[in-house]
Amino acid sequence: MSVDIQAIRERMAVNLATISGLRTEENVPDLVNPPVAVVALEQIAYDGAFQQGLTTLEFNIFVVVSRASERMAQRKLNQFVAPTGTYSIKSAVESDRRLNNLVADLRVRSVTNIGSLQLDDQEYMAAEFAVVVYV
Amino acid sequence: MAKYVVTSQKVSVNGTDVSNACARAELVLNAAEVETTDFGSAGWTEVVGGLKSGQLTLDFHSDFGAGAVSSLFQNLVGTIGTFVVIANGTAASAQTPAYSATALINSFTPVAGAVGDLATFSVTFPTTGAVGYATA
Repeated sequence: MSVDIQAIRERMAVNLATISGLRTEENVPDLVNPPVAVVALEQIAYDGAFQQGLTTLEFNIFVVVSRASERMAQRKLNQFVAPTGTYSIKSAVESDRRLNNLVADLRVRSVTNIGSLQLDDQEYMAAEFAVVVYV
Repeated sequence: MAKYVVTSQKVSVNGTDVSNACARAELVLNAAEVETTDFGSAGWTEVVGGLKSGQLTLDFHSDFGAGAVSSLFQNLVGTIGTFVVIANGTAASAQTPAYSATALINSFTPVAGAVGDLATFSVTFPTTGAVGYATA
């Protein structure tokens, strides 16, 4: 199976876009416009099987929400980090674990760094999801 | 000849190339130790080589797709299979020798793994008959 990283990122963004009101970026943007989910490639492990039969890609999905109202921001983030539900990032990404047959399987493994994020002198609330993808 | 990093072994089972689902291959060839120690051994044990045997161990990534490795092994338990392992290459050569063996497929673990793990299974088969070695 060939590895098309850009297509994988785009397809992951398609899955994320099923969450109502959430913007998506398959590439890391210069400026964020929250609420937004940004797909970033973290690392790749080659040669998981003979003859490049398995490549393991690890992505981070950064979800950024506005902190104009801290209470609303935390409530919004709580919905995004929940393991299930309409606004669950995990549920949305895993809604098509084969990414339209681009990959063998994927899993949203964890969410970390839940809290404040400063970008361009602006305060946001954010969370970082780790996604492992097997191709 | 040079030292090499294991990345491109070829493994086939009954003619089906399963390399891209295989993460480890190990073929061990043994000869039994037959003791010949006697009063003339000067206090040391003595042995000679006896019957030879082999053992093939393979680690796979589970895959139940049509023709994929898990489906392939499903109906082979209890049968004699033909295995070819080419060291560090896809064709036999002096630098990438091919070992061929028939082995008794005496076990298969179709389901294994903990939550969150990549599904894998390992098999170890005893060879039967001679193990072939080819460089062309």
